[in-house]
Amino acid sequence: MTAHGVGIGWRPEIAGFVAGLPGLRFTEVVAESVPAHGELPAGLAELRERGTAVVPHGVKLSLGGAEPVEPARVAHLATVAERLGAPLASEHIAFVRAGGVEAGHLLPVPRSREAVDAVVANVKRTQAELGVPLALEPIAALFDWPDDELDEAAFLTEILERTGALLLLDVANVYANARNRGADPVALLDALPLERVAYVHVAGGAEHDGIYHDTHADAVPQPVLDLVAALCARHRPPALLLERDGAYPSADALRAELDAIAAASGYPAVT
Amino acid sequence: MSTLADPSSGHSAPADPSSGHSAPAGGRPGSLAARQAELVAALTGGAPVPVGFDARMVEAARVALLRKRAGEVARHWPLLAAALGERWPGEFARWAATRPTQGSLRDGWDLARELAAGGELPAPAGAELATREAASRYDGRSAPRARRAPTVRRAAGSVVLQLFGRVRVLRGPA
Repeated sequence: MTAHGVGIGWRPEIAGFVAGLPGLRFTEVVAESVPAHGELPAGLAELRERGTAVVPHGVKLSLGGAEPVEPARVAHLATVAERLGAPLASEHIAFVRAGGVEAGHLLPVPRSREAVDAVVANVKRTQAELGVPLALEPIAALFDWPDDELDEAAFLTEILERTGALLLLDVANVYANARNRGADPVALLDALPLERVAYVHVAGGAEHDGIYHDTHADAVPQPVLDLVAALCARHRPPALLLERDGAYPSADALRAELDAIAAASGYPAVT
Repeated sequence: MSTLADPSSGHSAPADPSSGHSAPAGGRPGSLAARQAELVAALTGGAPVPVGFDARMVEAARVALLRKRAGEVARHWPLLAAALGERWPGEFARWAATRPTQGSLRDGWDLARELAAGGELPAPAGAELATREAASRYDGRSAPRARRAPTVRRAAGSVVLQLFGRVRVLRGPA
């Protein structure tokens, strides 16, 4: 993706705020919330018309599922990407259902050879239908599988190399995973192919009972902004996007978070 | 409301992927598919945490998932959540602990119907349920579909009329 600077995830609850950002050049919309036919959600079409790039972000493909990805879900993502004139689409390295049951959440796949093969197969099935590049996002997970064979960087790098996919790096996920495991988040940045990063997610979280949760409903903590700066010092990604999914704060608070991401990354403010 | 915690009350137990016949897509025992199904069953159906996982962290994920679901259902059913007030997250989590999500709309609908059937739906939430019932046909198993015929529905003292797709509350909560 060409350099789009700082963006924010489009959600119906903050559509007015997003539309009012004078410097906004890109946004992201949950792919499953965009219909394949009929009118686009109010406000989204206007953003498209003024030239704001809109990236569909899938959350229910279940690329990490052992079962083949459902063709209808892939077709929907492809259709939405086309309707939006999107420069790319994105999804997670995760599974969200198994044995016919919806988890209702993004769940980690084991970092095993078998799981890499399953993810690669599903990514290739998806890429075959998509008219635009696909970026893959590693998730925040509170637990790991007991049968991990690869570390996170090797696991991700192998998937990216075998599929040619781009990386959607979520620095809040990197921070959450490292904090809950007592690891150094910067060490992961140093081990990832940062030149493959299509864009970056930034989000807030909160600690409960000693565990950090990537909630998207709390303020972006300073260590996550520090990680944005550490990332950009190594290889500045073309775009960074603030994700907020609930407990929406005031417009001033959102503007302050966007400005903080701009300052940490060196991109111009969009507010 | 305590009856809501009974997982046997008209709700089928989650498929047990290890039993070989009840898991429609669980795969052979020990396969990635089967183990993913076991993990989902632990997180959404009250099944035991699979061997080798950090039980404390899986439990934290399970609780976080229920908290997230409660928030999402509250967005679809604001009057139901508001009527239960501070009890909402706990009541929802108790109900949802053994019920994998069918989507926020249906989750809230199922819970509201169950409360209504037991005479426990708070009056302020009656109009919300009756409005949904009048506007759409929902069989409890598949996605609700818009009704065409004029329909009157009652719930917790509220009466709602749907005519040509327009919904009117004839009598709201007292």
